Amino acid sequence: MPRPIWSGSISFGLVNVPVQLYGATRDRSVRFHQVRAGTGEAIETRRVAEGSDDEVDWAEIARGWETDDGRLVVLLDEDLDRAAPERTRTVDVELFVDLEEIDPIHFDHPYWLVPRGEGEGPARAYRLLRDVLADSDRVAIGRIVIRAREQLVAIRERQGLLSLTTMRFAEEIRDPHDTGAVPTDEASAPSDAEVDDAVALLEEMTVDWDPTSYADAHRERLLALVEEKRRNGEVREPDPEDEPVPQVASKDLLAALEESLDRIRGDRKRPGTRSPAKRGGVGSSGRKPSGTEKAKAKAKKA
Amino acid sequence: MTARSIWNGTLTLGALVVPVKLFTATEARALSFREVRADDGARVRHRRVGARTGEEVPFAEIEKAYGDGSDEVVMTKDEIAAADGPRAKVVEIEHVVRAEEIDPVHYDKPYHLGARDGGAHAYRLLLAALERGGRVGIGRLVLRQRERLVALRPLQGALALQTLRFADELVPADDLDVPTPRKAPAEREVEMAGRLVDMLAGPWDPDAYRDTYRQAVMDVVAAKLEGREPDAPLPAEDRDDDLLAALEASLERGS
Repeated sequence: MPRPIWSGSISFGLVNVPVQLYGATRDRSVRFHQVRAGTGEAIETRRVAEGSDDEVDWAEIARGWETDDGRLVVLLDEDLDRAAPERTRTVDVELFVDLEEIDPIHFDHPYWLVPRGEGEGPARAYRLLRDVLADSDRVAIGRIVIRAREQLVAIRERQGLLSLTTMRFAEEIRDPHDTGAVPTDEASAPSDAEVDDAVALLEEMTVDWDPTSYADAHRERLLALVEEKRRNGEVREPDPEDEPVPQVASKDLLAALEESLDRIRGDRKRPGTRSPAKRGGVGSSGRKPSGTEKAKAKAKKA
Repeated sequence: MTARSIWNGTLTLGALVVPVKLFTATEARALSFREVRADDGARVRHRRVGARTGEEVPFAEIEKAYGDGSDEVVMTKDEIAAADGPRAKVVEIEHVVRAEEIDPVHYDKPYHLGARDGGAHAYRLLLAALERGGRVGIGRLVLRQRERLVALRPLQGALALQTLRFADELVPADDLDVPTPRKAPAEREVEMAGRLVDMLAGPWDPDAYRDTYRQAVMDVVAAKLEGREPDAPLPAEDRDDDLLAALEASLERGS
């Protein structure tokens, strides 16, 4: 296994779960390196002290903080550890919530947690937390400091392990209406008939979510172009677009929706075409209740 | 005032065409430090040099290459851009899924969408339909030469677009080597842990959380500026290794 990104503990109440953190993503993008035009010489990045040619080793590098009046304060790792000593080692679970209450816009980076240390103790504590999260269908909320940055985290059971996802603070997320480009005027409001048709179209297009059915086509195309250049020394101009790109806004929305519905329903009748999975109704219940409303309903029940 | 969009294009759902623009939905918040040399605080510059000659190479002379040795291929910007495909400016909604089916680990960078050139009506229609249906549209977007899978969904009365990680970008649990305890937790432990979780359960209120670390770092900066030693870190607290005792004490403390 690769090296852990972080070692510490999760604590809830007085229960302590020693864990290690590993990345849950891998970089699959096509990696280029830099070369010098003409000569093809490989390019290296060197760190040098400003105003000199002195190379600076990675081990000699620290974080510098510049104050408003231009003074520089050098912060070593141990200085940063002092800023939040507890949080750099322990995720204190302050709250357990229902997963569906958290809007996905908060989710940032996923990690895996594994038990740390020898012996039965850590493995059993880990398993206890995993089981209790799985059984209660809840998510543990806490904070962590990694790489000089504090983040909220959500810990839950996934694929039999504890999964930790860092979360964006509310203050990091912009209000969509601040873009000034979200239409809200009376004139742009859709009619009931249009919304009914659009909901019907969404329902017709609904399938079960299967993440493995999507491949990165761009990566495939890029690697094919690299191969083409390796063989032929050049890359053909890309073919002209095989279908016209629609750039003009639909004028008659009802007509566009009807046409789409006819097309999708027509396809369905032909043998061999895949019918979108149908499950659950749509549109009957109206707006989805928000998290707080659900929590209130729950509180009432209790 | 209108914010600056980072991408202008078109969203399509069947024959419905919605001209849209894309905005970043997040604000940089992390403290931005400078790289300095630890002993004298000298600023550190990154210099691009030829590996063989040690000569500094200006940015304009730098190209991208793939592979190594005799297999190395240099690709120009235009050649790389050719992989964008003909539909680089269109996000076609390929599928529609139920919002709750998407595992959160897929969600990556969030963006806000605005309407463009006469697209307001179609924008509102798509938004209203997604809101009513509790559905998410799935499509693809090429952004900065990377194709991303994207989820289109309603958020706070606007259309939000969030990139999704492809399945092969995620590390499956099976890849990790995790010791299994010989003994499963005792029934009593599980029951008590369940009660502890219930005790600590509550509604999620994202506004209740602020980044407090930033201030803590600023306090250390202030201490160093005044030549004071920052407070020494607390010794790590030793916690009880006895699960059952820890659970009992936690429940007692909370009730």
